[in-house]
Amino acid sequence: MSEGRWLVEMRGIVKRFDGVEALAGVDFAVGYQEVVGLLGDNGAGKSTLIKILTGVYPPDAGEIYFEGRPVRFRSPREARALGIETVYQDLALVEMMSIARNFFLGREPVQRVGPFSFLNMREMEAVTRRVLEEIGIRVRSVWEPVSVLSGGERQSIAIGRALHFGVRLLILDEPTSALSIKETRKVLGYVEEVRRRGLSVIFITHNIYHVYPVADRLVILSHGRKIGDFRKTDISPEMVAELIAGGITLPEEGKP
Amino acid sequence: MDPQAVEARGQARTRLWARGITLAELRRYPEVGALAGFLAVFFGFAIVAPHFLTLGSLAGIMTIAAELGLVAVGVTLLMIAGEFDLSVGSVLGVSAMVFALMARAGIPHLLAFLAALALAAAIGALNGWVVTRGRLPSFIVTLGSMMFWRGVLLAVTGGFPIAYEEQSLLMFVLSGRLPGGFHASALWFLGVALIATLVLTRTPFGNAIFASGGNPQAARALGVEVARVKQVGFILTAVLAGLTGIIQFSRFGSVDPLRGEGVELEAIAATVTGGTLLTGGYGSVIGTVLGALIVGMVRNGLVLAGAPAYWYRAFIGLVLVGAVIINLRIRRSG
Repeated sequence: MSEGRWLVEMRGIVKRFDGVEALAGVDFAVGYQEVVGLLGDNGAGKSTLIKILTGVYPPDAGEIYFEGRPVRFRSPREARALGIETVYQDLALVEMMSIARNFFLGREPVQRVGPFSFLNMREMEAVTRRVLEEIGIRVRSVWEPVSVLSGGERQSIAIGRALHFGVRLLILDEPTSALSIKETRKVLGYVEEVRRRGLSVIFITHNIYHVYPVADRLVILSHGRKIGDFRKTDISPEMVAELIAGGITLPEEGKP
Repeated sequence: MDPQAVEARGQARTRLWARGITLAELRRYPEVGALAGFLAVFFGFAIVAPHFLTLGSLAGIMTIAAELGLVAVGVTLLMIAGEFDLSVGSVLGVSAMVFALMARAGIPHLLAFLAALALAAAIGALNGWVVTRGRLPSFIVTLGSMMFWRGVLLAVTGGFPIAYEEQSLLMFVLSGRLPGGFHASALWFLGVALIATLVLTRTPFGNAIFASGGNPQAARALGVEVARVKQVGFILTAVLAGLTGIIQFSRFGSVDPLRGEGVELEAIAATVTGGTLLTGGYGSVIGTVLGALIVGMVRNGLVLAGAPAYWYRAFIGLVLVGAVIINLRIRRSG
């Protein structure tokens, strides 16, 4: 495998919790401007793999390469510094805080007054309003609490935030599982937009039909092992669903 | 559909919109309930209590509000960050006692002041460390801390109060008498409240405080160091409690080992009356200032109205529940 091919590559990742092997040597990679669907039933190891990639847990064995260079994240902060950002299903935004404050949380623009740094409220308002317009969300004020928004709007804002701050790899954790069909379609459209702008995306879900429309490649985990890695064009959603459910076993074919 | 019906419908929608705007905007201000309570209590006592509107009475209210409010400002920031501190009353007592003992032993007051505050900071840091490292509920940890330090205070002093008659510049700066019967503590209170409001609403750290209490997982995912934010909150709260202890000592010239008992709950009452959510993530320092002023007015006003002072706690209880109901109604509307 050439080093220039992957934005991020994980090799032989092993993770044990209290002696139980959550990941048993998983290889996983994401190319440039690629949308990868990471699939598997509950407990398959999807979120453990992602938490290792984002620096929440250290792996017990295995290596991670970012743009071909080996990396070792000791905290989510270090992963974020390289442009890896996760949007969690229910944890993307702080409901009681305003939209603008959420948008800039952890990355606030400041104005210096002597030795003190104050929030640049004007910039926060202007940028948030512009991004909301781009996404097509209308609110009375960007200082409204996030709780006035629908689930899809919240996902879209979290994704818009990642775009605005120049994220390289966007990880979406079950972004559509709590959404209506109409809202799901909107969020998927937004994922396409993210790829067009040059980002790579990992889309975690246990429902193949949520990710199939936008994915370039599908990776399936089961019991801590990778049991499938397919270009979307090589497999039908029905077969993937069967694989996830453990109904059939296929040899690892079509590996890109 | 005939045009008139469409028109009527449009108008109804516009009206709803207008109403929605006002409610939505109200919801952005946690202190609305406290302001209503403040005005009700203020005008209530102004009518029924003779001499309530005199300068002396207002000065007395300010002194009570300042000594409670300084503690409550810390409690508010910490509560918004998602944690309790029940040990503030004990920290207040310990700091006052340490200052008194050191001053009586002839140690320069400024040194004694700094040492007492450093001890308060250390207790706060310990509280925060146990809570964040041990992932324990702060309610339990600081309840233990409250009992422990009160016990230490009683054991070390043998239960006897300490009096110290001398005055010093430092003590005057902390709680000296100003014209009109006001005390310097009122200025400390307003200054600290102003700074706390600025930090909370206009700095990245304030954003981190809201996020840490509102949704710690989301905050962590966005790189907010939640444990550090809470740790700073515990230290700040303890230091403000310690400062208040020394301020009270400067005013009374004495301290007994039970000094500060019950302050923790009054501070929570002032904070919650001011619109801060007990569960964190939402609140305001300005609301807490109003809450502390309400407590001060009730304490002073009941006496001026001729009611037995014993009614004070009962009345505070009513105001607290009333304000919380108003706060909840505003938040649920729209």
